[in-house]
Amino acid sequence: MDGKMAPVLVLDNGAYTAKVGFSTEKEPRLIPNCVMKSKAERRKTFVGNQIDECKDLSGLFYVLPFQKGYLVNWDVQRQVWDHIFSKDVLNVNFADTVAMVTEPFFNFTSIQESMNEIFFEEYQFKALQRANGSTWSAHRYSSAQQKKPLCCVVVDTGYSFTHITPYCRGKKMKDGIRRLNVGGKMLTNHLKEIISYRQLHVLDETYVMNQVKEDVCYVSSQFYRDMETAKLRGKDNTVLRDYVLPDFSQIKRGYVKPLEEMNYAGKYKGGEQIIRMANERFAVPEVLFHPSDIGIQEMGIPEAIVHAVEACPEEMHPHMYMNIILTGGNALLSGFKERVFSDLRALVPQQLEVKVHQPDHPITYAWEAGVALSNTAGFDKMLVTRQQYDEYGQNICSEKFDV
Amino acid sequence: MSSKMADKKARESGRLRDADKRRVIDNITRLKRQRRQIENLERDNFHDDPHANLVLVNKKLPQFSDTNDSPATKKKKKTRGDHFKQRFRKNFQTLLEEEQLSIRGGPNYLTAQVPPSEYPERKFCAVCGFPSNYTCVTCGARYCCVRCLGTHQDTRCLKWTV
Repeated sequence: MDGKMAPVLVLDNGAYTAKVGFSTEKEPRLIPNCVMKSKAERRKTFVGNQIDECKDLSGLFYVLPFQKGYLVNWDVQRQVWDHIFSKDVLNVNFADTVAMVTEPFFNFTSIQESMNEIFFEEYQFKALQRANGSTWSAHRYSSAQQKKPLCCVVVDTGYSFTHITPYCRGKKMKDGIRRLNVGGKMLTNHLKEIISYRQLHVLDETYVMNQVKEDVCYVSSQFYRDMETAKLRGKDNTVLRDYVLPDFSQIKRGYVKPLEEMNYAGKYKGGEQIIRMANERFAVPEVLFHPSDIGIQEMGIPEAIVHAVEACPEEMHPHMYMNIILTGGNALLSGFKERVFSDLRALVPQQLEVKVHQPDHPITYAWEAGVALSNTAGFDKMLVTRQQYDEYGQNICSEKFDV
Repeated sequence: MSSKMADKKARESGRLRDADKRRVIDNITRLKRQRRQIENLERDNFHDDPHANLVLVNKKLPQFSDTNDSPATKKKKKTRGDHFKQRFRKNFQTLLEEEQLSIRGGPNYLTAQVPPSEYPERKFCAVCGFPSNYTCVTCGARYCCVRCLGTHQDTRCLKWTV
C-alpha cells in the first residue's frame, strides 16, 4: 500500500454493543447495536447512541440486528452502521479508510458474503479485514507477555452466547472451539422472569433490569453458604439489597439503597418502587456456571474450558491452562474471575498450573486488540483491498480472512 | 374387629384417597413446557411494539390537482435498500438449514455446542429460588416447603402463563 498510512476503523460488532473507533483513538465508543422505541416518544426511533437523548427509558422496545448471535436483520444493521459512520458519530471518509470488523465463530457463508458486499460495494471502504474478536484478543495477549506463550484460551462471554477458543501460536484450534448458549441476554431475561413472578411485573423493562443486573448481581464463591445467608432475617442477611427503580421523573437511574438506609421490614416512606434482591443477586449469574439450573442441558464455563482444552493435543494442555483470558461483558460481574479460577482448579489435574487473566476492560479488550494488530508489521497482508475485491470477488476474501 | 375396620376407614387420609384423581402431566408435556420456558429466555421483547398501531402522518400529503393523472404512470424506483431487504430476509433458522451442517463434517456451529454437564443437576425451588428437596407431583416443578407448594399450585402448576 502507499507510504502514508490510511486511517483504520476498528469495529467490534457485538450483538448488543458495537465497539467502534479509529485506531488512533485511546478507547472505542460503545454504541448500542440496535434500534429502540420508547413508549413516551412516539414520533421517533432511536438508533444506536441516540438513546442518550431519550428521557423515559421505561418499556423500551428493542429491534436488534442479531439473532442468536448471528447477523440476520440487515436493514437494522444498516441503519446502525449508517448512523455510526455518519458525521453524527465518526464521520468516516470511506474511500481512504481501512475497515476491521469482527464476526462470530462459524459465521454463515451467506452472512460473510453480504458483509463483504456491503463494506466494499455499498460503503466502498479502501480495504477490509474480517476476523473473530477472540483472535485479536489472543494476538494481543500473547504479544503483551514478556515471554510469549505458546498457547492460550480466550473465553468470550457476551450478549448472545459464550465462546471458548483455544489458540496455539496465534492459530485457533477449530476442533476445540466450544459454545455455551448462555449470555448476558439470558441472564437479564432470567432475572426479569423471576422478579416478575416473585415481586413486580418487569418483563417489559429490559433496559432497567439490565442495569439492575449490572448493579447488584455477583458471582458467588460459596454458593450454598450464600444461599443460607440469603435466608436470614434482618441485619444478618448480608446478601440482601433493596434496589430503587427509576421512575424517569425524579429518579433518572435506578440505584442500590445504601446499607445504612436499608429498612429490613421492607417499608419505605418515600413513594419509590423497590425490588428486593436476595438469592437473585447470585443465582442469576450462576446460570453461566450451571446452565442446568434453569433447565439448559449444557456445561458451565469452567467445565466447558476443560472440554475445549481436552479436544486439543495433550502437550498443549499445560500451556493453555496457564493462559486463560476472560473477555466480554459478563466478565465484569464481580467475583467472576475468582470463581472461574476456583472451579477450574478443582477440575484440572493437580500437577498442572492454572492461571486466569482478566483484562481491565473485558468489553473493549478485543477492540483494543484490533488497534494493536493494525499497528503490527505485516498488517497489510491481512487486508483485502477494494481493487482486489473488484478483481477476484468473494473468493479472495474467503481465502485471506481466517474466520 | 368390625369397629376397628370402621375406625380405619374413618381415619383414611384425604391425600391418599384423592391421589388417583389428581392430574399428572406426562413427561413429554413437561419437557415441552421446559423448552418453551428456555425459548422465552431468548426473546428480545416481551411486549408489543409501542409504535405498532401508530398511524404515521405522512409528511408528503397528497397533492390534489385538477387533472386526473393516473398514479400508474409513476415509475416505482427500486432502491438498493429493497434489494437488500429481499435478498437478506432470512432468519437464523433458515440460515442454519442452508448451511447443511449436519451432513458436512468438521468443526462447525452444531459441533461447537457444549454437551450436557457430567455433574448432577442442582434443584431449586421454582417459587423462592432456594435449594429444594421436593417435586410437585402434578407438573414436576421443584419446591422447598409447604408454603411455596401452595403458591406454586395457586399460580403456575397447571396454568403456565408466563
